[in-house]
Amino acid sequence: MATGIKDKVAVIGMGCTSFGEHWSKGPEDLMVDAFVEAIADAGIEKGQIEAAWMGNALDDINVGNSALPLAHALRLRGIPVSRVENMCATGSEALRAASYAVAAGAVDIALAVGVEKLKDTGYGGLPLRTKGLANDLWMPYGSAPGSFAQLAGAYAVRHGIKKSDLKRAMAHVSWKSHQNAALNPKAHLRKAVDVETILKAPMIADPLGLFDCCGVSDGAACAIVTTPDIAMGLGITNPVTVKAIQLCASHGWELQYGEWDGSYVANTRQAAKRAYAEAGVEKPRRDLSVTEVHDCFSITELVTMEDLNLSDEGRAPFDILDGRFDRAGAQPCQIDGGLKCFGHPVGASGLRMAYEVYTQLLGRAGDRQRGTVDLGLVHNLGGAPFNSIAAVSILGRLH
Amino acid sequence: MPTTPSQSQAGRFVAAVGAYAPLLRLERAAAGKALKFSGLGGRPSGRRAVAGWDEDALTLAVEAARGLPQPQAVVFASTSAPFVERSQATLLVDALALDPTVRTGDVAGSRRCAVSALREALLGNGDTLIAAGEKRPAIAGSSQHLSDGDGGAAAFVADHGAAQLIGHASLSHDLVDIYASRERPQSYAYEERFVRETAIGNVIAPTIKAACAAAGVAPAEIARAAVHEPLAGCWRDISRFTGMTAPNFAVDLTQAVGDLGAAHALFAFALACADASEGDLILLAGFGSGCDAMVFRLTGAMPGAREVAAQLRKGVVFDDYMRFLSLTGAVQLDWGVRSEFEQKAQATVLERYGRDMIGFVGGRDAEGNVQFPKSRIPVRPDATSPEQLHDVRLADCAAKIVSVTADRLNFTPDPPFWFGLVQFDNGARVMMEFTDGDGRGFSVGDAVRPLLRIKSRDARRGFRTYFWKAALADRPTIEG
Repeated sequence: MATGIKDKVAVIGMGCTSFGEHWSKGPEDLMVDAFVEAIADAGIEKGQIEAAWMGNALDDINVGNSALPLAHALRLRGIPVSRVENMCATGSEALRAASYAVAAGAVDIALAVGVEKLKDTGYGGLPLRTKGLANDLWMPYGSAPGSFAQLAGAYAVRHGIKKSDLKRAMAHVSWKSHQNAALNPKAHLRKAVDVETILKAPMIADPLGLFDCCGVSDGAACAIVTTPDIAMGLGITNPVTVKAIQLCASHGWELQYGEWDGSYVANTRQAAKRAYAEAGVEKPRRDLSVTEVHDCFSITELVTMEDLNLSDEGRAPFDILDGRFDRAGAQPCQIDGGLKCFGHPVGASGLRMAYEVYTQLLGRAGDRQRGTVDLGLVHNLGGAPFNSIAAVSILGRLH
Repeated sequence: MPTTPSQSQAGRFVAAVGAYAPLLRLERAAAGKALKFSGLGGRPSGRRAVAGWDEDALTLAVEAARGLPQPQAVVFASTSAPFVERSQATLLVDALALDPTVRTGDVAGSRRCAVSALREALLGNGDTLIAAGEKRPAIAGSSQHLSDGDGGAAAFVADHGAAQLIGHASLSHDLVDIYASRERPQSYAYEERFVRETAIGNVIAPTIKAACAAAGVAPAEIARAAVHEPLAGCWRDISRFTGMTAPNFAVDLTQAVGDLGAAHALFAFALACADASEGDLILLAGFGSGCDAMVFRLTGAMPGAREVAAQLRKGVVFDDYMRFLSLTGAVQLDWGVRSEFEQKAQATVLERYGRDMIGFVGGRDAEGNVQFPKSRIPVRPDATSPEQLHDVRLADCAAKIVSVTADRLNFTPDPPFWFGLVQFDNGARVMMEFTDGDGRGFSVGDAVRPLLRIKSRDARRGFRTYFWKAALADRPTIEG
């Protein structure tokens, strides 16, 4: 009977570049920057790393296939290095692979790096990934905002909420992230924006306006993991440990089977249920000090609050407007600005979220520190609501 | 030389008709206003049907032919077929999910080609579908750009039916009134006075007279006409030359949607049949490099005709000349870097999946659940191993919208890009693009119906793929 990996893996070092439009830096620079911070944090030598995973989602955008870009950038000599890709959940996938390697006893110390260099595309938004395959013959060439925007209409119908009321709750989500990012020196979009500006922004995909959409950024993030025993041997008396990492992928049910109503993300619910069980979290609203969720779009964060059981069904708009998830609220979400304002270099985002939770757990978050943080959740979502990969990770302290 | 159907071939009928005009109708006066500075465009009146960016001669013909019975032979007729080397008739067979053993053929060469094909079918044997579609390119400022229209029409020929051929005549005559060529795909027109006088006196009127003679009727006995004019306004002279007094439904059609090229006479014939009475004589004549004229006696109500007449009155009128230029390819807008993505389709992939795509064919699993696309292991949650799925066509199945958005980020030649999840009444659900959103857009719960449209255009290689898109189940009625 599997027992999960709770407290079998310690995070001993993390790094994260600032996210943004790094015109002067290539992906190699970003990986090195994140790694330099992480290894200094861990207090180990590079030669102690026994395996590495590189997360990169869009291989044809200036990073390249395979794990060789990471192996070359960091000069990782003579160790296994692999590339993982699970769309926007790629960063979590890299952390999962490294953690499983440690938990399995295959290696003592492993490295996970997520990187994306989007701003060399020459335009805003994510690139299309058409390759002349079967799906291209029928699947719409919809954008990411177009795919997620559909949650809003379906949610409004399911819960009988007026679109204008839903839009205002969505605007609060974005307003909050801008407020939070203003305090974060590594965030991409650090300017506070008022709600009316958000509401009046140009439409991107109905009902998502410009400010309902996350930043498209360059960036990298990095984690070094080991066993709790080794961590303590390095002098870390109460290390941050992985309490759970769970992942769930669509098998076509939402797209092809006539049950889903389009108003929530089924895989988030599945992954969260398993993560709570693995971590022993019985009451997430009580037990989780902070959350970092995949707010690629404001409506995504809104429905995720219900999918993670942080709001009752149909109540997320009201909890959001009540400030429950604000930085000073009962259960802050996106205290670092989230994808919305920290930015979203796709392959790095899962690790960036873990970086913020790690930072909060260690009390290092400075102006945005949320007092004492015992347990934090990372929700990283790949694909689209109708065809998704949801990763839910929970981090805490060993003692 | 006047001829009548030989004894062995007598009795062939047009048994059903269909037609299709695109949703959008340009007010020609708006174009005239935009062109006023140039002195071009004249003082145009009426409206012109404008195909969406995702429509072409094939999709227009498919939509016209959807309601017709299963044939033994299929003929596709157009002077603006998207492919020169790839049979549109074969694509039409796949799009309508017809038996692939039907005989197929493509005709072109003049805007008379559909009428010629109809004549051959009437003189031939076997149930035959003639489907015409036209989306002709034209240069802005030319009279064709405003006088032409986009649309499709179809006729079904059988041994029994509603309109019996009782006489016909043909005349081959290389009158170069307009032409298009590989070097110049857009129509080039010669002087109208020359065309009018020569075409009427030397080509059309003699052929009509010969057809009436072959049928043993006087032109004045013709109750309704569907005669393709070489130019708008010719009908009065044609009537005078022939002695006919019947209304010409092709004239009204030109005013409503424009000259539909190869589809025009068939479309007008459907309109002529709509309110005709049993026993009425109907004249059908196609023009272009000569003339084909046929006289029919109506023996009953023509299936599909009233639907054609009703559909013609539904659409959305617009007056945005710049959008018209863009939709007709008369201007090339710079759509930015996001429009540069690769859309190459692979022949091997098309060979494996193409027929299911253009035919919108899903599969029914062992428990009765319908899904699209098909898969070895069904999507049904309790399915554990591969099953044999049985083909189910979704193109004619009722459906509703589960989720939808108007995407303004990704490239489309006619923003916004509507797409969303569609639930079919038979249980299937498909993420689909929406089309023809003018008027009121789309909302969760709206009833929709699939239309065959261009899915992707690979401009670099001159290729396109087709798939079905969801449109609102009903169209608004055009006022005025």
